[in-house]
Amino acid sequence: MKLRKQHPVWITDMGVVTGLGDTPDDLWESLLAGKSAIRPVQRFSADNYHSGVASCISGLSASGQASMIHDLLDRLLPEKGRIPSDSHLITATTKAGIDYLERSHQGEAADSQDLLLSSFPCTVSQKLGLTDTGINISAACASSTIAVARGAARIASGRTEAVLICCADLVTEFVFSGFSCLRALSPVPCQPFDRKRCGLSLGEGAAFLLLMCEDRARQEGRSHLGSVLGWGAANDATHITAPARDGCGLVQAIHQALTVGGVGPEKIAAISAHGTGTVYNDLMEVTAFQQVFGDAKIPIHSVKGAIGHTLAAAGGIEVALGTKMLSEQLIPPTVGFSDPEAGAAGWVCAESAAISGDCLLTTNSGFGGINAAIILRKGGAA
Amino acid sequence: MIAFITGMGWITPAGMGCGRELVKTADIPKLQSAMCDPNAALPSLTGKAVFGKAYRQFGRMDAYSKLGLAAIAFALRDAGMDQWTEKREIGMIGATRYGCLHTDADYFDTLIPEGGLQASPNLFAYTLPNCFLGEAAICFGLTGSDFMISETAPSGLTSLCMALESIACGESEKMLCGVCDLERPTLISEEDQAWRGAVFFLLERDADRDVSSYGELDLTRSGQILFNGGKADDLMAVVLGCLAGM
Repeated sequence: MKLRKQHPVWITDMGVVTGLGDTPDDLWESLLAGKSAIRPVQRFSADNYHSGVASCISGLSASGQASMIHDLLDRLLPEKGRIPSDSHLITATTKAGIDYLERSHQGEAADSQDLLLSSFPCTVSQKLGLTDTGINISAACASSTIAVARGAARIASGRTEAVLICCADLVTEFVFSGFSCLRALSPVPCQPFDRKRCGLSLGEGAAFLLLMCEDRARQEGRSHLGSVLGWGAANDATHITAPARDGCGLVQAIHQALTVGGVGPEKIAAISAHGTGTVYNDLMEVTAFQQVFGDAKIPIHSVKGAIGHTLAAAGGIEVALGTKMLSEQLIPPTVGFSDPEAGAAGWVCAESAAISGDCLLTTNSGFGGINAAIILRKGGAA
Repeated sequence: MIAFITGMGWITPAGMGCGRELVKTADIPKLQSAMCDPNAALPSLTGKAVFGKAYRQFGRMDAYSKLGLAAIAFALRDAGMDQWTEKREIGMIGATRYGCLHTDADYFDTLIPEGGLQASPNLFAYTLPNCFLGEAAICFGLTGSDFMISETAPSGLTSLCMALESIACGESEKMLCGVCDLERPTLISEEDQAWRGAVFFLLERDADRDVSSYGELDLTRSGQILFNGGKADDLMAVVLGCLAGM
């Protein structure tokens, strides 16, 4: 692959809302303290499901006929004017306002337009006063990772100067019951890369990332939180709901990201893995990382034991977290991890660990066999 | 930024098939009229009708996935690329208005009785709009990047634009792109109308295979799509342009 990449892509602004708080700093401090937001679900009865726990955002509610996703966006998005009005908009959500179905069934008045995935970017655009009404990308749990990749590709090729990425998903009974009937939920808070892991925990969350070409960011005096250096995505072409055991798609995606970024595996200081805590996902990831990095044992982090699996929002949240890891040269403990899966020993840390280097790899995989990888570079090192 | 259209497949109220097969028999004005009729029904799809043989997995899919997979199958057949022995790095980008909302409603109906005890795992597996791309990846060994997009005011051309961008910046050499929508779900307001059916194109960076091209697609710096040098306002213009040029 010979990528025509002319313009460095900076991350100049970001926001994160998760069960561990409403800012990136809230999340960071809680992670360093080893906290988890995964608790018994109060929003609906989980009596008949394989799990009763998830990471829900405290106080999130539906207002009038609007979905809870509007409340989530109100908490997430900055005031009008902070995001340039000419920013191209790419959002990522798997189910948008799917809580409509539950509210409607309970006899509440609700707006069915919230069900349409296209309503999500429209809402973001209106709240921020953007010219572009945007598109939503749907690629299961890799949605926002691919959204970041597409946004970065547009800037790198010179087609646009600024792209706002915004991602969000809710914990609803619709999604919770689905993962339960697939027997993918862990009855206890999930334990990524741990020998005793037995499934994932769901979480809700949202993130925004403002990507901008370096020239414009410098002109506007924007912060340089980090750079999007490389990206890749590939399909396993193996199974709809299970990962390829040899990690073929993830390996392909990582190699693409390294190629686009123009860096070798030796430059990667840490990995923010998908790390859902399911038996097959974590095993697949370890297999893929071993193929790419050999015996190098790059420090791996998973955030899922702290905030659950936030589905389409996972990639965006993890990119925001990755920039923090690079700037602090530290990876937080992987909450829920203590007894390593055989292949994960020496890679995953139960305690905070210092890292040394400018580049971090973040990966996500999802239903439909899709895998995506992003390589971030430390802010100020573009 | 030019790519060649080498395959085209569709399922519309006017019927289903491949560009090269259909053009021999179709009455183009009648085809155009039927494609745009909001009341016309989509044809029923079977594995045999789409693949020429039984395909067991096809029967398990939801109607939305069958529709999208069938259009991709026809596009690849049209381009002479439906047979394979080794996986191929071909990407896919589809656009949809309603996605899998029908399947969402069907799944929710299994969730309601008995407090979730009867929730259907098979239906839940198809409650993501991108699942048919995964089915196409498995069926045809496609390992490129793939995702679905939804937009407020769809022209049907955004997936083509994004596919062209991917080819132009060197990420991909071959991309499948198009649209896929069933009829408007009853959950959604009657005022919301979208075209029903699925159309997919195979775009190739290089015209180096032993198959003719329908023509050239170009993406201008201002984001306009040109087909053989002329501005295309919507997806139908590209479809009809391809057929007219045969």
